[in-house]
Amino acid sequence: MTRGEAMIKRKTQPRAQPEGELDAGKLELGEDFQDAECLLISEVKVLLEAQYEGRKGEEEDKEMSGVFTRTLEYVQKFGRYTNRDTIKEVRALMKPTSLHPFECAQLGNLCCSEYEEAKSLVPSIGDKIGDEDLDSLLKQMDSLKKYQG
Amino acid sequence: MFFHKKLTHTITLHPSFLGPRMREFVTQRLYEDVKDLCSGRYGYIVAVVAILEIQMGKILPGLGSAEFEVKYSAILFRPFRNEVMDAVVTKVNRMGFKSMAGPLEIFVSTQLIPADMKFNQHSNPPSYHSEEQKIEVGTLVRVKITGVRIDATAIYTIGTIKEDYLGVIE
Repeated sequence: MTRGEAMIKRKTQPRAQPEGELDAGKLELGEDFQDAECLLISEVKVLLEAQYEGRKGEEEDKEMSGVFTRTLEYVQKFGRYTNRDTIKEVRALMKPTSLHPFECAQLGNLCCSEYEEAKSLVPSIGDKIGDEDLDSLLKQMDSLKKYQG
Repeated sequence: MFFHKKLTHTITLHPSFLGPRMREFVTQRLYEDVKDLCSGRYGYIVAVVAILEIQMGKILPGLGSAEFEVKYSAILFRPFRNEVMDAVVTKVNRMGFKSMAGPLEIFVSTQLIPADMKFNQHSNPPSYHSEEQKIEVGTLVRVKITGVRIDATAIYTIGTIKEDYLGVIE
């Protein structure tokens, strides 16, 4: 790299927040991720499978990156919702609540059966939603999962 | 946690690429640069979803290369402390076990495994087992991340299964 290129590169590297300050339990995700869109594992599965199908059809046998392959295997194993309509319905169920996107994604990924489990695994939920409302939400998500096509 | 975020990347093209297929070279170079990238700030960049904008190239004075700022959206994977996630056990030994959640490796040390789970060195494969559960290579576990260390190219995490609702997933 020449000095010119190095000077330009340096000015575009802002500092990241110190790791010790970030805490998912308190919903402190840092300025980069505090308002970012959180994806359900099933949504990532849909996106990655579409990309994989697209790349399979290309002429050169390009090597998939290790990160991509490992993530694809992971989401196929742990993706609970198998089709797009179910995912849309799950999202619609959580929209009217006042939960943070991170909390919604965690509930969708962990598929808790009772409100105690959900509040223990995602402590930041706290009092944002009543126990009965949370319980009914979890039961609806569970029945969507059981009766999906 | 998987995130969907808009990012910016700067690509520098040598003058030989500045021809009719210039945009194609820029996109190709973006995919190559971002492939297998783990940034300290954004975590693992799993895949590029869409290229939103390729700004007009700027010629670097004295060099002839052109610099393009590319705005794209990508799927990121970034763990946080106190986040709970599912993982697959990949290695078991006396010190604890290693598990993988996608591209991320999580190490759970013996101290953060419930006391009733004992290491059984004679079993093949090596495992931790209690009366009801067994942890060996291939077991699915629910882990809570207790520490995250990020350096320039990788993320190292440690976790626990010593709390309620964590541990082996049936």
